[in-house]
Amino acid sequence: MENAASPPHGLTARSAGLVACTRCGRVHPPAQAHCLRCGAALQSRDDGSLQRVWAWLFAGIVVYIPANVYPMLRTTSLGKITESTIVGGVIDLMHHGAYGIAAIVFIASVVIPVAKFIAIAYLALTVRHQAPMRAHGRHRLYEIVEFIGRWSMIDVFVVAILSALVQLNFAASINPGIAAVSFALSVAFTMLSAQSFDPRLIWDADLPEPDK
Amino acid sequence: MTDQNPPRPEILPPRRSPLRNLSLIWLVPLVALVISLGIAWQAWSDRGVLIEITFDNAAGVTPEETTVRYRDVRVGVVEAVEFTEDLGQVVVAARIDQTVAANLPQDARFWVVRPEVTASGISGLSTVLSGVFIEAAFEPQAGAAATVFDGLAKTPLVRPGTSGTRITLQAPDGSSLSSGAPIYFRGIEVGRIETPRLLESGSGVVADAFIEAPHDQRLTTATRFWDTSGFSFSFGAGGLDVSVDSLAALVRGGVAFDTVFSGGNAIEPGNVFNLFPSENAARDSVFNALDADAVQLTVQFNESVSGLEAGSPVLFRGVQVGVVNAIGAVIEERANGPEVRLRVTIAIDPQALGLPEDAGEAETIAFLGEEVQQGLRAVLSTRNIFSTALIIELANVPDAAPAELSVFGGEFPVLPSAPSDLPDVTATAEGLLQRINALPVEELMQQAISLMASIEAVAAADGTRQAPDALLALLEDARGVIGADEVQALPRDIGAAMADIRTLLEDLRTAQAATQLVEALDAAESAATAVTTATADVPALIDDLRALSAKTEALALEDLVSQAAAILATADTLLADPATQGLPASVTAALDEARAAITTLTADGGLVPNANAAVGDLRGVIDDLRTAQSVQKLTDALTAAETAAGDVSLAIEGVPQLVEDLRALTATANELELQSLADRATDLLDAADRLIDTDAARDLPRSLSAALDEARGALAELRQGGTVENTNATLASARAAAEAVATAADALPELSRRLEGLVLQAQGTLSDYGERSAFNRDTLDTLRELRKAAEAIAKLARTIERDPNSLLLGK
Repeated sequence: MENAASPPHGLTARSAGLVACTRCGRVHPPAQAHCLRCGAALQSRDDGSLQRVWAWLFAGIVVYIPANVYPMLRTTSLGKITESTIVGGVIDLMHHGAYGIAAIVFIASVVIPVAKFIAIAYLALTVRHQAPMRAHGRHRLYEIVEFIGRWSMIDVFVVAILSALVQLNFAASINPGIAAVSFALSVAFTMLSAQSFDPRLIWDADLPEPDK
Repeated sequence: MTDQNPPRPEILPPRRSPLRNLSLIWLVPLVALVISLGIAWQAWSDRGVLIEITFDNAAGVTPEETTVRYRDVRVGVVEAVEFTEDLGQVVVAARIDQTVAANLPQDARFWVVRPEVTASGISGLSTVLSGVFIEAAFEPQAGAAATVFDGLAKTPLVRPGTSGTRITLQAPDGSSLSSGAPIYFRGIEVGRIETPRLLESGSGVVADAFIEAPHDQRLTTATRFWDTSGFSFSFGAGGLDVSVDSLAALVRGGVAFDTVFSGGNAIEPGNVFNLFPSENAARDSVFNALDADAVQLTVQFNESVSGLEAGSPVLFRGVQVGVVNAIGAVIEERANGPEVRLRVTIAIDPQALGLPEDAGEAETIAFLGEEVQQGLRAVLSTRNIFSTALIIELANVPDAAPAELSVFGGEFPVLPSAPSDLPDVTATAEGLLQRINALPVEELMQQAISLMASIEAVAAADGTRQAPDALLALLEDARGVIGADEVQALPRDIGAAMADIRTLLEDLRTAQAATQLVEALDAAESAATAVTTATADVPALIDDLRALSAKTEALALEDLVSQAAAILATADTLLADPATQGLPASVTAALDEARAAITTLTADGGLVPNANAAVGDLRGVIDDLRTAQSVQKLTDALTAAETAAGDVSLAIEGVPQLVEDLRALTATANELELQSLADRATDLLDAADRLIDTDAARDLPRSLSAALDEARGALAELRQGGTVENTNATLASARAAAEAVATAADALPELSRRLEGLVLQAQGTLSDYGERSAFNRDTLDTLRELRKAAEAIAKLARTIERDPNSLLLGK
């Protein structure tokens, strides 16, 4: 890592002819298959990374559609059944004047997943091509995407907790809809997609390769 | 880190075949896509068929929330609520499950279920919380798949698919036909009435009704419907009649039906029934509903027909055979000018007259014509004695002027009428009441009241008040006597006497007394047979007696009553006498004396030992009886009784003759001048009045007081009584008497023969009574004798007053 800090454009392990362990950071000669320190498998670059990224991303997008079309919650109150989708719920909240909560729900359930799709797609696309964004920026973007991924599940947790707590038979009961499962799958797929991304590719593409 | 570049690691060719490079990971989005598409396709294909239901209004129907239910199962949901193009109605678009929608026939009914509170109950309560829903009712019809329907405004009474018969009820007004009212058959709800509607002519109201299967089999042409709602209240000859139906029927009305006569034919659905106001009207309607073959007749009356109305029954020997159709007046040209006559049109059912079913008008008129020639007339009469309603009765008037059923062309045949005897009953009753009214009851009452006052005065006297105290003391003394040791010893002696009597009875049994008794009974039986034979003539006797009492009725009761009043007045005066007032004091004194006597008895201890001795003597007597072969004598006596019974039987053979004689006697008595006898009785009462009014009678109480004093003396004498010897003597006399009875029984036949002779004699005597003058003279003499006797009694009373002891001591 000290190598990366000193040169103006940095020096990757690969450009140094070495293979770095992604878990503990130790570099090895290229022939080495397993890390001598931690035993993890060594690979200079993950060739199937992009494929997996795209595949999980598509799966995530596909299941994100029913998550928005179908109802998230089925609220039964005194015999009246109310089915609310994610966007419908946000609109209802806004109608009731709860703009703060509406914003939270909207950001957690709509903005973040959609932003993740866009971010991952952007990262995957810019691996091979010159990007307007600097490599550092993209790496930071990747870190954010990976960090924020788990918090997208907050919506699903709310639904799960409400369903477990509010089971008062006729008076009131809340049941998860199809969208809850779809949304959970979507989040999971997106996280897998983000994990599949090999951030080292960012640097490969960004390097002007002056050494060549 | 070295200076020289390390050899580049071998790098795989950057581009490979896209297919070879394809990772298995792509299966994940593929599967997700397939599943998503699959769900979407399934949702789309299952989403059901959109149908449109038109309602007048869509109260409570909310898109996406209001469900459509069939047999209470959700089969769809409302998607949209819109207006028709002219904004006149509401179109509810509902998405119905495909399986249901495929079987929806065109006549499927939809209505909105809302909470409803009616007299019959609360329905749709669950919709209060869950909101309304649309209920569907239809008979599934495969492949019908209709999509446009007209919704009902309210819940239909009969759901499609319910089996039963639809009929129509017709009533003069709609008050008894309320929508949803139940139809009862013997108290069980078997159907409902739908919304009533006016006839186009406005002359009535009809309502469709539905009778559920299997009760619709009860419907025949003989079925009648009547209104059961509310109270029915009638007051007539049968008394007060209040009838209240079930509370539910009271609130929401109701209709009941029944088969009122047998032999009705099956009906077609849609048959029209008339609704009658009451059950009685419905049942009577069998006569009212005269069909086409009723024969119309005209009757003309000269008297008032007030109380007769259209619908009044026409009776033929008590059976209703028709009704009055119309009443009108007609002016007839007579020799002495125009005259108004009342003309009543009646309709007669030939079958009710007993004519065969196919009898036409001609046969009926011919039949009636014959009857008229034999005296059949139309007569007005009252329905019952409390009512002024009139009916027409076809009665045989024996002495009617000859007439015949006159048949004119084009008009109804005219049935001759006879005057009714309506007012007579009233006149008779009035006369009776007037006579009762004339009786001098008030005077009698007045006398009775003053008599009561005198009695009260007697009761209030001091002596009367003291009497109870004296009685109480007497009772205490009596208790003392009973408590004495000797009296306690009495039962033992009596027990011994009973044992002796039992022995005596044993002897009696051995002496074949039973056989004798049986024979005696046989004789008595034959005597009874003879009596029966003799009784046969008694009814005739009773007839005569009745005639006699009829005559008695005609007597001058008024005079008698006033005489009785006078007597009561005299009695009143008598009671008011001071001597009478003094009576209680004497009674008290007498009671005191009696008490003294008992005290003496107890003190002396003489009576009880005497009683003991008497019982001992009784035992001795019974022993004597046993030894003296009294049993043998009893047997003899029974034999004698048997003979006597036989004789009675013989004697009774003469009784029919006797009865005959009695009849003759009664007949003679019938001819007597009872009126004058009553006059004489009045005279006698006058005399009695005078008698009571005499001084002697007034002095009588004083004499009574004296007599009581004497009784007191007698009680004092009792203290030294030797009663036991007397008892023995009495028993011996009884024995002698029994023997005498046995002897006397022998003489019975002779006696009956004499009786017969006596009766003959009596007959002769009574036949003499027929001759007015002799009997009257005798009676007058008798009455004169009676008056003398009364005067003699007065004298006697005076004597008693002078010397009371003579009465008691017989001196």
